[in-house]
Parts: sequence; structure tokens; C-alpha cells
Amino acid sequence: MVSAQLVLTALMGVFLVGVVAFLSRVEDWRSYTPLVSGGGGGYGDTGATVHREKPAGITRWLTTVDHKDIGLLYGTYGIIAFAVGGLMAFLIRMQLIAPEGAVVGNSFYNAVLTSHGITMLFLFGTPIIAAFSNYFIPLLIGADDMAFPRINAIAFWLLPPGALLIWAGFFLPGMEGAQTAWTMYTPLSAEQANAGVDLMLLGLHLTGVSATMGAINFIATIFTERDDDVTWANLDIFSWTILTQSALILFAFPLLGSAIVMLLLDRNLATTFYAVGEGGGPILWQHLFWFFGHPEVYILVLPPMGLVSYILPKFSGRKLFGFKFIVYSTLAIGVLSFGVWAHHMFTTGIDPRLRASFMAVSLAIAIPSAVKTFNWITTMWNGRLRLTTPMLFCIGFVSNFILGGVTGVFLASVPVDKVLHDTYYVVGHFHYIVMGAIGFAVFAGLYYWFPIVTGRMYQRRLGKWHFWLSMLGTNITFFAMLFLGYLGMPRRYATYDFNSAIAPLDMVTLAHQAASVGAVLLLIGQLIFVWNIVQSWLEAPAVEDPDPWDLKETNQHGREFQWHERRIATALADGGEEEEAVTDGGKVVDGANETSDAASDSADD
Amino acid sequence: MEEQPGLSDQYRTASPWPLLVAVGFALSEVGVFLGIFPVAVGGILLLGGSVAGILAESGYARRPWRTLALLGGVFAGLGAALVATQLPGSSVGLLEVVADPNGVVGRGLAVAVAGAMLVAAGATSQMFGRSQQV
Repeated sequence: MVSAQLVLTALMGVFLVGVVAFLSRVEDWRSYTPLVSGGGGGYGDTGATVHREKPAGITRWLTTVDHKDIGLLYGTYGIIAFAVGGLMAFLIRMQLIAPEGAVVGNSFYNAVLTSHGITMLFLFGTPIIAAFSNYFIPLLIGADDMAFPRINAIAFWLLPPGALLIWAGFFLPGMEGAQTAWTMYTPLSAEQANAGVDLMLLGLHLTGVSATMGAINFIATIFTERDDDVTWANLDIFSWTILTQSALILFAFPLLGSAIVMLLLDRNLATTFYAVGEGGGPILWQHLFWFFGHPEVYILVLPPMGLVSYILPKFSGRKLFGFKFIVYSTLAIGVLSFGVWAHHMFTTGIDPRLRASFMAVSLAIAIPSAVKTFNWITTMWNGRLRLTTPMLFCIGFVSNFILGGVTGVFLASVPVDKVLHDTYYVVGHFHYIVMGAIGFAVFAGLYYWFPIVTGRMYQRRLGKWHFWLSMLGTNITFFAMLFLGYLGMPRRYATYDFNSAIAPLDMVTLAHQAASVGAVLLLIGQLIFVWNIVQSWLEAPAVEDPDPWDLKETNQHGREFQWHERRIATALADGGEEEEAVTDGGKVVDGANETSDAASDSADD
Repeated sequence: MEEQPGLSDQYRTASPWPLLVAVGFALSEVGVFLGIFPVAVGGILLLGGSVAGILAESGYARRPWRTLALLGGVFAGLGAALVATQLPGSSVGLLEVVADPNGVVGRGLAVAVAGAMLVAAGATSQMFGRSQQV
């Protein structure tokens, strides 16, 4: 024990010395000038040189505070987490092919199930949205950068340690993955003797701190950093949803953090916040968790709704129908989302009068959601639709959102929920939203902005394959889950080898197998997606057209594509790094009045 | 160079501190909550140092040393308060409690020790260190 402490102490010492060495190596990091290695050379005083260039190699990514770089870091992180969580989901589906469980033991299944949920919600969902917002909000509102660039970087760098802690139970000796499900209900989570649970809770806490820091930054940025000609009246819809989401994060995530700290104290220091028969009891956890957890749903879905509201009109050739009402409905959802948490607790024996009121508010939230849905449909109505990949994903979003939303309306009703609670119906419902809607909107955003971020175009045919496999896979998998719910299949079970006298086992098995077939389609689709993104990024020819979607025809060339156009023009003026641009040289450069516009470009060199 | 387009918004696009703040925060949290003394002390040192560094870099503090010592003082106070909660009544049991620390005392000691080290580092540098050019 003592020797272990000594080893740890020595390791920490070495680590800290390493940090000092790193700092001294990048000691001159302030003086990154266009000259090599920042010496300043003939310019004289180093401190007076212009700090324009970024450091080279890996140091650039470790030290960047540029919003576009941080957006790329968030995006890479989100895609990696999506791959990990997706493979976990695939394992879950393979396990459930056979009633007795086909692949892994029950404990490992529980751990994978827990980790899949937490990975997808906290390590993929929130960060991938932050990827879009970091990269594009400053461009959309005409800001040079985020209001607090360094806090922005801190918020990102809290995530990798968070992910390592969340997954630590799987690979650290003497531990196993937490088996609490993503809801971490007490007393199970308080009494599970496994340090993996502590590490997971600490990791979750870190991701919560990260999200809160990011939210404060976005609120400050959107309020104070807008360009003069960006007013509240013409603020784009994506920024509106990010602003609302940030407000929700500000109220929800600190609560999750506190609840987790209380749970950690219960686990490690013998407090009794959630102990049975003491203090708040186990039900306190459910109240605190869902007071965070339901707004979390809207934290995850509002920005994707913003993405769809932003992208869908571009390929409909029309302005977004009822823009104002979409903004109002976003705000309404934001407010209402804090008044519905107990609909997750209808079967816990809470006061029936409370149940009724929560049912009413939950049903009411369908109204602003329907406002959005009808506005999207009306935007497309009589429009000149162009079925590009991002547009297909937007339409897929609307379709899946309707299915996920309508099943949600049923679940909001107390009598229906008493029958369907804790069945696969619930799983099917929320996967239609998180995969069918949020995932699809994310794909739409990735494809739509791919030319700006990479300067290249993805392979259209592969994009179509990705969409259709995802659409089919999503609907097969999650519709089968809705059906399983009607059959009474409980969620979270590692096996379902029931007595066939009490359950239609054949039909349950068939539905599970159908869901697994859908998962195979989804996996193939996502492999195509990753291949498409990586190969196109590396090998596709550069896109020199500043308007790759022909948006000027319909007067929908957004601020971010205008910025992109200026960037291409400035690269020409500079004789900059884009080789094709230099040799081409045929484009007119109007550098004179572009000086301030091109400012943000300097960060991109 | 200043005439070139794109240089009107001069702000640094690189800083070594955010990464260190985040890692320091993560290590201190893990160390303190799980009661691993070396990790807690190392994490708090890193956190305190990098917070002082980032404040100095962004111009909220002229030099980092005073901030460092101040942060150390806060940590030392917090740690001492944690230890104090476990002291038995009026008797002078500090040594006994420290010699055989329970969960709370061990964690409190880690925080206090790290705080004291930060104070020492800050004070020493303030007296003898060269001033940082910011």
C-alpha cells in the first residue's frame, strides 16, 4: 500500500516536471510570427511582433483557442464517441438475437448498456452540437471569435478526461464498467460496490462542468459579440436555438453536478442523501435527476431542430415559413421543459394530483413541437425541392421526429404510461428522437457545411447510400422496438428467455431479430459515412466555388458562406496556401473593402 | 504586415493554459473524491498553477505569483476546514487525528498540503523570481 503510494507520488512528480518541460518548450508560444519559430529576427523586440501564426504540429491542437479549431476538436471527439457508442449499441443488438443472450454475460451486457447511453448523450450528443456551434455561431453572427476563447478551450479539454473516466471501468484492473443504466437510479447506484461507478460519476461531472462553461460562453457571445448588422430581429434560427439551449444548460447541468456530488458522498463518505428511509430517500435522486434529465432532452434536440430549420429552406428554395413562430416555439419548449420532469416517474407512486399536472404540461409541449413540424412541412410545400444529401437527412428528421413525437404524446398520458412504462416502447420512442431526429440533423449539418470546413465536397453517391441505409435501419430497428413494447418486453434486460405461457416468445424473438437486422444496416451506413468523410477530406479535389449549393439563385447565401467566399478571395490575394487558387488566379479580388471581413480568416491560416 | 487584410483583430490564437487547467481540474477532482493523496496534491498544484498562469496571460493579473499564493491560501483554508470538522470537541486531538486520518481528514490534508505548497511557491517566486513580461 505504502509502496503504491510512493509509486503514485513519483509518477505525479514526473508528470508535473513534464508539464513544466512542456511549458518551457512552448515558452515562446507568444511569438508565433510569420517568421520561423517566433524568434522575431529582424523585427527586433519579440514582444512587439504580431502574433498571427499558430504553432505547428500537435502543439497547435493542444494549445489552440481559435473557435474553428475547437469546433474541429469537438467534432472529432464527437465522431469518435459516436463510433464507440455505436459499436456498443451493435453489441447490444447482437446479444439480443437469441432469448438467452447470444454474445456476452449479463454483467458485461449491463455495463455496455449503461455506457452506451452515457456515451451517446454526454460524449456524442452535447459535444457534436458544440462542434457546430463553435465553428459556425461566430461566423453566423459576425463575431471574430467566442467571447471567452480560453474558457472555450478549457471546456473542450475537460471532455477527454471525462470520457476516459466514464470508460475507465472497462480497462482499469480490479474494476468493471458501471452497471447503473444511464439514469443511475438509487439505491442501485449508491450501493454498487465498484470503483468504476465512482469514476463514471466523476467523468459525468466533468462533462457537466464542460457543458456549463460552454453555455456561459455562447450566451455571452450571442449577446455581446454580434456584428452591428445582426440584430435580434434577423438573428439566424440556429443561433436562437443555441441561445435557448445554453440557457437550459445553465439551469440544468449544475443541478446534475450537485446531485452527482451528493451521490458520490453517499458512496464514499457515508452521507445519507439518498439512503433508504433517510433524508430524501431514493425518490430524491429521481426528482433531481429528471429535473436535469428532461431539459437535457431539449438541450439535445433544440439545436438539431435549429439545424433543420436553417438547412431545410436552403434546398426548398423558400424562406423558412413562420420564422417568428419557430423562435417562439423554441423559447416555449425551453420554458416548458422544466415543468415536465415527473412524467418519468408516473409509476413511482407519486401523488395522483401531481401526476395529472405533469401530464397536462407534458401534453402541452406537443403544441410548440407541432408548430415546428408544420412549419417545416409548409416550408417545403410548393417549394423547389432539391434532394441533396443534407436535404434528405432534413426530411428524414421530420419524418422520424413525427414518429418519435407522437409516441411521446402517448407516453405523456398517465394511463398509457402505466402500461408501457419501462418497456421497449419507451426505448423505441426516444431512439426515434435521439437517432432518427438528432442524429439525422447532425448528419445534415455535417454534409451541408462540409465544403466550408474542409474546402472539399463529399462523394454524393456515398452520401445517398448513407442516408437510405440510415433511414431504413433506423425505422426497422426502432419500429421493432415500439412493437416489442406493445408485446410487453421490458427494457434493459440482458436476456428474455421467458416462460412462453406468460409471453409470446416467438414474436418477441422475431421483433428483436428484426431490430438487430436494422442495426446491421445502420452499421453499414455509418461505415460508409466515415469512409466518405475521411476519404473526401483527404483526396477530393478542392472546391473553388464559394457557393457550392447554388444558394445565390434564391438569395439564401448565408453569412457563413459569405465568409467562406471572402476567405477564398483573400487566399487569392495573399497568394496563400491554397495552391489551386494561386495557379488559377482568374477570380476578381475585391480586397479593398474586405479588410475587416477577412479578419477572422487570419486565424485560419 | 499590419497592412495585410485579416490582422485587425489581434488576439492570440494559442495558449498552453486551457489544457493544463482542465487536466488539473480533472486530477484534483479524482484525487480528492477517491482519496488518493498524491493525485489530489499533484492535481491541485497543476490547477492552481495553471489558473494563475491563465489569469496572468489574459491580463487579469500583472504577475502570476500573487494569484498563485492567494489560490494556495484558499486551498489551504478549505483543507484545514475539512480537517477541523473531524477534530474531537475541545481536546487537543489534532496530532492524533492527523496521525491516523479517516476519509475526511485524509482528503482535507491533501488539499491543505497542496495549498501550502502553492503559497510557498507563490511567495518564493514573488520575492526572487524575475517578473513575467506580459
